[in-house]
Amino acid sequence: MKLTRKAALVLAAVPAIVFITPTGTAGAHGYVSSPASRAAQCAAGVVDCGPTGPRYEPQSAEGPKGQTTCSGGTRQDFEVLNDDNKGWKVTNVGSTMTVTWTFTARHATRDYEYFIGGTRVGFVAGNNQQPNNPTSHTINLGGFTGRQKLRAVWNIGDTVNAFYSCIDINIGGGTPPPTTTTATPPPTTTTTTTQPPVGGSWAPNTPYATGATVTYGGASYRCRQAHTSLTGWEPPNAAALWERI
Amino acid sequence: MKRLVIALAVLALAGCGGEAIVPEGQGAHGHGASSAAPPVPAASARFNDADVVFAQMMVDHLQLGVSLSQVALAKATKKEAKDLAGAIDATQREELSMLKSWLKLWGKPEDGGKDLHAAHGGQPLLDDKVISDTKDKSGAEFDLAFLNLMAGHQGAAVEMALAEKKDGSNPEAIAYAERVTTIRQGQISQMLKVISDQ
Repeated sequence: MKLTRKAALVLAAVPAIVFITPTGTAGAHGYVSSPASRAAQCAAGVVDCGPTGPRYEPQSAEGPKGQTTCSGGTRQDFEVLNDDNKGWKVTNVGSTMTVTWTFTARHATRDYEYFIGGTRVGFVAGNNQQPNNPTSHTINLGGFTGRQKLRAVWNIGDTVNAFYSCIDINIGGGTPPPTTTTATPPPTTTTTTTQPPVGGSWAPNTPYATGATVTYGGASYRCRQAHTSLTGWEPPNAAALWERI
Repeated sequence: MKRLVIALAVLALAGCGGEAIVPEGQGAHGHGASSAAPPVPAASARFNDADVVFAQMMVDHLQLGVSLSQVALAKATKKEAKDLAGAIDATQREELSMLKSWLKLWGKPEDGGKDLHAAHGGQPLLDDKVISDTKDKSGAEFDLAFLNLMAGHQGAAVEMALAEKKDGSNPEAIAYAERVTTIRQGQISQMLKVISDQ
């Protein structure tokens, strides 16, 4: 009887785990921030990647080691990273390039791998140590030229998983990429993060100097701390930044 | 057994199965209260374990962010980096006093214990040593280190806030998690633009 009860508890818990894991939030992640990877462009609002996924968690393109995708293949809302026709910003590079990672937590690292197509053009051992901050690698692009997709992989030392980050590059002396693949920022770039002022002069994504005055919701405020405004930092919601006058 | 199952379920909810437990670094504590003492939104008394874990982890997280911002206020060369450090310093002190008042109301300690992070997503990016090491850098090298660390650190806040929005029950804590998601995403967007312009 007791055993049955235990089994029932286990069975009750298992579907919850199976159901939650694919959409759940996980920790200890990373992505390439420079040059701006596809996920970094989602998070920066340069490309509209939808309401969830890499917009809020550019660090979570995770999947089992050995994937050949940009998304890691685990979460549906990261599939946008595999779309080559999304208008990703292309970075001009020479025959070598420096790649910088941003991590959200520390993780023992097996190694880093860099691929163009099926060719591994870069490998950096991790020795199961935690990464330096920031971690930058200079990659020799192995004679590839023109428009390419560099796939950066962070292989974790203490789990079966890896993190994937794709960077769109144009290799070779700053030649402009072909017009068919040139990324143009979509017209919605700023509207995704900008909301219309609510009856006042305050606006998000605007630099304000200490002492600047704005109106918001019928009241006046003076800036106490220089900053670039954000949605969420409206004057009534950020007393540390705005003093009502 | 029941306790183990619950623990496993909690681990799964936090998405951190398979994490290795490694010794925790020293948290950064002991900063003075903000000179500005704005009114603090009170939290209602109804809460669950996810609310407590979120508040405790955020207390540690906010303090580490304030510590790194203090270094950047002294060392950052780019105006965008220095301004952001100042704004994070000011706003996170405000958030800290709010969360501490909630934990007090709930009768829970501010410090969730040394295993809290290991059990909920891995060791934090920042600790006293990582923050201290940035002091050896200067100029553009410091700016890049600061922006990368802060972008990653705030990304972890988004992860915690998403977990709270899913699992928490306290209305004020869930509303705060919503604000954290929006504000940190905005900060990360600002930082990534500066990083990719370098």
